[in-house]
Amino acid sequence: MTRVVVTGIGVVTPIGSGRETFWNGLLGGVSGIRRVTSFDTSAYRVHNGAEVLGFDAQPYLRRLTAAMIGRTSQLAVAAGRMALFDAGLEAEQLDGRRTGVSIGTTSGEPLYVEAYNNIRKVDGADAVPDEMMARYPCHVIPVHIAMELGIHGPCLTIPTACAAGNYAIGYGFDLIRTGRADMMLSGGADAFSRITYMGFARLGAIAPDLCQPFDKDRKGMVPGEGAAILLLERLDKAQERNATIYAEVRGLGVSCDAHHMTAPHPSGEGAMRAMTAAMKESNIAREEVDYISAHGTGTITNDRVESLAVSALFGSRAARIPMSSIKSMLGHTMGAASAMEAAACCLALSTGWVPPTINLEKPDPECGLDYVPNEARRIYPRIVLNNAYAFGGNNASLCLARHED
Amino acid sequence: MNGRIAVTGVGVISALGTGLEEFARNLQSGKSAAAPSARFGGVTVAEIADLNPQPWLGSKGIRALDRSARLLAIAAKMALDDAGLGQQDSESGGADIGLVCGTVLGSLHSIASFDWSGLAEGPAWVNPTDFANTVINAPAGQAAIKHKLRGVNSTICAGLASGLLAIDYAADALRLGRASAVLAGGVEELCDESVRGFSATGALSPAGIARPFAANRDGVVPGEGSALLMLETEEAAGERSRAPWLELLGFGCFQDAHSINKFDLRGEGASEAMRQALEKSAIAPEQVACIVSSASGSRVGDEMEARALERVFGKHLGKIPVCAPKAAFGEAMGAAGTLCAVVAGLSLQRQEIPPTAGFAGDSAHVWLSSESLPISGEYALINALGCDGNNASLVIRLWKT
Repeated sequence: MTRVVVTGIGVVTPIGSGRETFWNGLLGGVSGIRRVTSFDTSAYRVHNGAEVLGFDAQPYLRRLTAAMIGRTSQLAVAAGRMALFDAGLEAEQLDGRRTGVSIGTTSGEPLYVEAYNNIRKVDGADAVPDEMMARYPCHVIPVHIAMELGIHGPCLTIPTACAAGNYAIGYGFDLIRTGRADMMLSGGADAFSRITYMGFARLGAIAPDLCQPFDKDRKGMVPGEGAAILLLERLDKAQERNATIYAEVRGLGVSCDAHHMTAPHPSGEGAMRAMTAAMKESNIAREEVDYISAHGTGTITNDRVESLAVSALFGSRAARIPMSSIKSMLGHTMGAASAMEAAACCLALSTGWVPPTINLEKPDPECGLDYVPNEARRIYPRIVLNNAYAFGGNNASLCLARHED
Repeated sequence: MNGRIAVTGVGVISALGTGLEEFARNLQSGKSAAAPSARFGGVTVAEIADLNPQPWLGSKGIRALDRSARLLAIAAKMALDDAGLGQQDSESGGADIGLVCGTVLGSLHSIASFDWSGLAEGPAWVNPTDFANTVINAPAGQAAIKHKLRGVNSTICAGLASGLLAIDYAADALRLGRASAVLAGGVEELCDESVRGFSATGALSPAGIARPFAANRDGVVPGEGSALLMLETEEAAGERSRAPWLELLGFGCFQDAHSINKFDLRGEGASEAMRQALEKSAIAPEQVACIVSSASGSRVGDEMEARALERVFGKHLGKIPVCAPKAAFGEAMGAAGTLCAVVAGLSLQRQEIPPTAGFAGDSAHVWLSSESLPISGEYALINALGCDGNNASLVIRLWKT
């Protein structure tokens, strides 16, 4: 099957936009977690979030108007155009018929639901503007990217919650390697939403202050927002045009716990099946994994179960595989999270550095692995796994490899 | 990558009937399920009255499932049983069956209600278990828990094309060796927000009658339901020595959005999707025995499909019987493509295409009928065309060993 590489990275994140800002921030341990500004949190016991501040989509739009599309679409279209630019391409150079878009999300365009309810509360549902309803369905996110960039191939949203970015990238990979597209813009996007915030707050899952994955005193996750989109391309075409190749996509492994909507299977068996399937599809042995980008949300349960799964799968070698969580810096950007993490994996493979888990002062002995505490490390990884777990028991691990000519 | 994909089971629930038999019977009768709904202030919709999941799902843990999750879990149970794969009752045993679900609005009502409860009573008072249903993949997650489906679990949103894209996504998972059996299809529920959406976007039929392709058509009747096909690799189906029902052949899709909610009359995307599907099936247009159309009574959408059909089929179009079943089960959005695939499967099986409900003989473009029409030939084409540029087509035939 056709080999697939990543040649463009577009990111809009709580620590800044664009590949360089993002990567320098991650290696420097910059945190994007601050007090929430987009809505009033006074009714909550927690007040922090990881928002994208001062974002203006208009400079990235030529055909669409920012005011006409939802915030998630704005984040996604900006990231899409950045990915294209990063790959050294203009929209006009794309073969639209051979290019597609696959986007992961948790909530789609939830701000329209919030606006709908706000109007409903004050003036009744009949006062809701007509066009608002049409802008809600989450498939409009990739449609907006397709409209903006002139793309005509497969175009879909895969809303598999907090693992959605990996599903979307995995599907882009599939479409290229099976010959149905030459290029895919694949990634994830989500907007900061009071619905998500309220839900996680009510589950008691939000940390009041910092996000401290794998720390003994960790107190939860921190909701965030943003978008990350990778330009995936056939290896031969990328080489033909002398593109910079960040990494090669090697395989995807997915599984479903079929156990609980919001909690992982306590043994981590679903996570293990996903990692195992990703390695099998990538035709690599366990011994070859050099780095794991953890799902690492910072909740008591996730971090323990994920560590358990990695320990069980990699045995005595587990503690020697660096595994960090960039959610310690970015918060949990929902459907965008695993796409941002995949982008970080690509940069780890191309630069040799892996980002740290920040705020890790007292490693939890119940987790017990090497989480790259607080300082970036140069390890020249060759093979990495990107883990993502989601509501609905959806697990997805993506395997990426260093590109060697 | 080139293995054949078999359909070995089907589950269907819609306003037209629950279970394949009832669905087929009512489809054959030519009646429409559209009726004014008390739930939606008298708006005419095709809704599933008195939805009772108990016979399929038992009563344990049902309260946690919203309407979409119930519809999907019911269709899943039917398809599992039909395929002879029953309930996967042990968390560790059995092969891992996947579930790929297309939808447009997912659990919109659960999302809006959760937010509303926070607005009305304060964030501290919302029910945390309701939060689980606010993710768009909640129906697929809930159905997986209910039936212990531990394989690939994915949700696909591509507008009205979702139900066919989900099938193609699942077929890929099988061909790539990620699973040996996957339930694929779609779900959509009617809710206050979706009916308002149909109304607000001007899509709703003022007359409350869906008249696909008719000169006097004036809009759509919203529908709901779920349809799932059990897809298996030839090897997996063969191992259980079961004769599969259908074979999936070529799939095509083309995105040509000029707007997120207006059909493009030129319909280039629609004809491109059909051409791809035919080409990948290695068949000529005249080999298509029947077409199950995406037409819903939409003024522009139906015209777009008619023009695209004319472009693809040319002079042959007048000789190929067409059914537009949305006249009967309404615009079931994310479930529509899969419901149409079920109609196509039934047509091939009986070698006759069912009538289009309410057809009164006034379609200039395509060969619809108020009676069942005999068909001859082995291929059926299914269209799922959206107002957001998402167009998909699929060719199927009866399984041949």
